Amino acid sequence: MNEQTTQEFDFKDEMIDEKITAQQEAIENEIAREQKLISDLIKLDSLLDEYSLEDTIYRSKIIELSANFSLVRKTRGDGNCFFRAFGFRYFEAIMGKPDEVKRLKDLANKICTDLNQLGYNSFTVDDFKDVFVEELERLADKSDVKLLEEIFNNPGSSDYIVVFLRLIVSAYLQKNADFFLAFIETYQSMKEFCSHEVEPMYKESDHIHIIALTNALNVSVGIIYLDRTDQTEATPHNFPEDSNPNIFILYRPGHYDIIYKN
Amino acid sequence: MSFNTRCPAVKRLLKEAQELSQSAELFYAQPLEDNLFEWHFTIRGPPESDFQGGIYHGRILLPAEYPMKPPSIILLTPNGRFKVNEKICLSISGHHPETWLPSWSIRTALLALIGFMPTMGEGAIGSLDYSCEERKDLALKSINFKCSVCNVSNSEILPELTDKSNEDCAEARELASQIQFKNSKPSEEQKSQPELTRRNVASSSSENSSANLQTNVPPVDNRIQTSTTQANNSTTLTIMIVLSGLFIFLLLRRIYLIVDRDPFSV
Repeated sequence: MNEQTTQEFDFKDEMIDEKITAQQEAIENEIAREQKLISDLIKLDSLLDEYSLEDTIYRSKIIELSANFSLVRKTRGDGNCFFRAFGFRYFEAIMGKPDEVKRLKDLANKICTDLNQLGYNSFTVDDFKDVFVEELERLADKSDVKLLEEIFNNPGSSDYIVVFLRLIVSAYLQKNADFFLAFIETYQSMKEFCSHEVEPMYKESDHIHIIALTNALNVSVGIIYLDRTDQTEATPHNFPEDSNPNIFILYRPGHYDIIYKN
Repeated sequence: MSFNTRCPAVKRLLKEAQELSQSAELFYAQPLEDNLFEWHFTIRGPPESDFQGGIYHGRILLPAEYPMKPPSIILLTPNGRFKVNEKICLSISGHHPETWLPSWSIRTALLALIGFMPTMGEGAIGSLDYSCEERKDLALKSINFKCSVCNVSNSEILPELTDKSNEDCAEARELASQIQFKNSKPSEEQKSQPELTRRNVASSSSENSSANLQTNVPPVDNRIQTSTTQANNSTTLTIMIVLSGLFIFLLLRRIYLIVDRDPFSV
């Protein structure tokens, strides 16, 4: 009889991983059904529907914010939201500007060289860069929002762009490890940090990712923090600090969406 | 074969097939002729281990989301480290989950597998802790293994091992410290394995059957007959567990009834 009980326990243990995987997949599928990778433009006011009438802090901050920002695009909450939001908005900002597109393309090639020097397999890295550059070049001489939406809502191209943005962050952090190591707690080396917190898909982004990405691409981004702190206004935070961005991202705890200034 | 080359996974896999088309000394892998998302591979057991001299054959299954999600590996040659005919996945319950990186490739996964073979199974699900002698014995026998799909015996696939592969061996060890493997998904098919040791057969009946309760079996090969027998196994196990649970309950109830006249009455 004892043997039987043990067997029952082993059996349960064995099922846990299966259950976790199945549950994760179910959640992912549901999110994928309900939420596009990048949504159409919607009014900022419509975010009010997400909060109850009693939730005065969020509601008053959103109303306050709508004086300067009127439109948003929501991103899918799959852990890639910062990278996808940034990628979409940055592509949108430079599409139809061949000079800017060329600058980013040259930068992408240079980052690949850096990654090779860091010991990355050039054929997989180039694969991501190639898709990144290909999609970018489709937008080089036309402002085509429909095409941009199509590129970022197609999981194939969209995820490849996210991977390459993650690699850009990883390369930048590893090249500037001396400086950034001071901000890392649980990991022994920058390489280890990057392979656990930066490069895996679906890993959420933090301050350090944003600093690295904006520095690596030399792009200015404003993050608007909408949270439950007691101030009346949502707090804007520019990366780099003294810059004057025209790309804005709305941060609510755990999630990034795109937001547009009037 | 025609492919949708707009699909990045297809483009990527074609490139990988091209990169790996020449057999390395430690490993060789190529897609099946009719399915780019299933590959067959052959790896050499790591030198200076119980698997030295062994050559092992297996399958790689690529998810549609590859390379965003990791490939899974199925070993076909008995090896004493991993169960055969069962998927080995990256551990999701490891200390650091989500360890797969999209910049890795099939080559990376195979080197990691080679490097991971000599590590301790420590009772992880799907791993086998055979004795050194049994593993060495299986390594000797492994070179004669012939895959029914590839129709080539293991010993004919890989070129001789030379010092040229030292770097690959070092990379394999390095990768093994980052990636963890274990049998995870239910086995898809149970091919007859005459080389299996008695112990493997005995232990697999309970282990496999519980894994087979999972219904989400990827349809790769139609072996309906075998899967039915597995389903029967799992039903038997479920019934046994339910019965033993009932038995324990009744026994406990009886004990309580003796100690305290009526604990269950309200």
